[in-house]
Amino acid sequence: MQNIISGYGLGLRTEHYADFLADSERLRQRVDWLEVISENYMVPGGKPLYMLDQIRRDFPMVMHGVSLSIGGTAPIDVEYLRHLKVLIERIEPAWISDHLCWTGTDGLNLHDLLPMPYTERALRHLVERISQVQEFLGRKILLENVSSYVTYRADEMSEWEFIAALLQRSGCDLLLDVNNIYVSSVNHGFNPQHFIDAIPATHVRQIHLAGHENHGSYIIDTHDHPVCDAVWDLYAYTVRRLGAVPTMIERDDNIPPLNELLDELDTVRRTAMQNLPLQVGHA
Amino acid sequence: MKPVATLQDVFQGAVLAGDRAPGLFVREGLNEIGGFDLYINAYRARLAAALKDNYPVLHLALGDDLFDQLASAYIEQRPSRYRSIRWFGDGLREFIDQNPELLPHPALADLASMDWALRAAFDAANADVCRTEDLAAILPQDWPLMRFTLHPSVNLLELNWRIGPIWHALNQDADAVTEQPDALDHTLLVWRQELECKWRSLEIAEALALRAVVRGESFAEICEVLAALDSDLTESDPSMLAASLLSQWLSDGLLVKLTAFI
Repeated sequence: MQNIISGYGLGLRTEHYADFLADSERLRQRVDWLEVISENYMVPGGKPLYMLDQIRRDFPMVMHGVSLSIGGTAPIDVEYLRHLKVLIERIEPAWISDHLCWTGTDGLNLHDLLPMPYTERALRHLVERISQVQEFLGRKILLENVSSYVTYRADEMSEWEFIAALLQRSGCDLLLDVNNIYVSSVNHGFNPQHFIDAIPATHVRQIHLAGHENHGSYIIDTHDHPVCDAVWDLYAYTVRRLGAVPTMIERDDNIPPLNELLDELDTVRRTAMQNLPLQVGHA
Repeated sequence: MKPVATLQDVFQGAVLAGDRAPGLFVREGLNEIGGFDLYINAYRARLAAALKDNYPVLHLALGDDLFDQLASAYIEQRPSRYRSIRWFGDGLREFIDQNPELLPHPALADLASMDWALRAAFDAANADVCRTEDLAAILPQDWPLMRFTLHPSVNLLELNWRIGPIWHALNQDADAVTEQPDALDHTLLVWRQELECKWRSLEIAEALALRAVVRGESFAEICEVLAALDSDLTESDPSMLAASLLSQWLSDGLLVKLTAFI
């Protein structure tokens, strides 16, 4: 299977392995590509890799990691990168991504996507590490904006100024998570459209959509609900602003039957088509 | 301007200690909920969920409350050092042995070993397995010096309790009421055949023979191990018994394809 990513995708989850194996021809009409969580397949063997190999034959794929800790301050974990490279060589993804965050320090891993301080010093730190990782892997990486629940006193700029500067200085690309922008905009009280407006369009290679848990005064990024109306509106705005960018739905908990996600993916497709600027073709 | 490393040390220390006001954040201490406390809670919840994934039957046996107590104690004492959360919980059996009061019955420690071994078998390395026709190609004079290699998923657990019945009962019905297990020192074989994880309790002869394979001993040496067994424990002569064990191992997919003789 060639690996050209365009259109609309889903995150591959174990709950849907059987569907993708049994019905790949029909599913190819409704899912253009799949994203896999890298760490789930950075294992010695057995069922995960077997399933991955089978499904990869029928679908273009991208890889999405959760533990690179690009913003961490311990030296880059070369052993992790080596394992990542083995998986890259196995499935030849169109691109790989991880998160603009740190996950732990002092040899520990909190297994969370922890926010960076938006400072000049953090920018310099990230630019240096992104360069190391891209050099080791021999390819450009995408980083995803994360949801956050705290604002550092140390911050010197907004998250969108920080990200725009990072993309320009490091040369890496962005996996724009529209849900995360919305979650953070409610938690921190900013206008999410200002975030979208500040992002350099040429660096946005992929978009994530997801559901969350709304607690009124704050929102938790849980990926356990369908995409909500406010995020659909923000996605429509994003498409008007950025044009056609490959977009997918992430669902990590309370995972429904695949058909429900396919219907939701049709809504992504419809929303994008209705909002694409006329001069831009299909994603 | 604080160095990034200092800020991260303080952040992580506060998550581990459950300190809601580490002095890093705007509006710190003003949020009733929905700020830094979300990181503190999510950390514990995520690691506890990983332990439940890795120890599914122990979780069923203990129930939510007791499992959560065990998980909290473990998370407190042994924070994760792994890149992937898949490996979190590797020290749980050792931790239980050091803190036996965390379990209502000592047999549940064996259940923890079994869960972890099955989880390890699930994604252990692949290897081509040895088939009957591969053995048929061995010349009679080569047999005594033949050495075999076990599939990478094979694990031999030394257990003290007969936990098979609890495992079966809880897998069939998560709410099953189970009998207290009997004390029984034995070896449990855990492995993966094709994509399916399997286990069975071993008789002494088979356990000793498999241990000999692990030590890299030859077929002749395996026969010697069997010959040294108390005759009460074995019914057939050693070479017949070794042949029948080999046949069982072949049909179970326990042996790796032979790459070269001797």
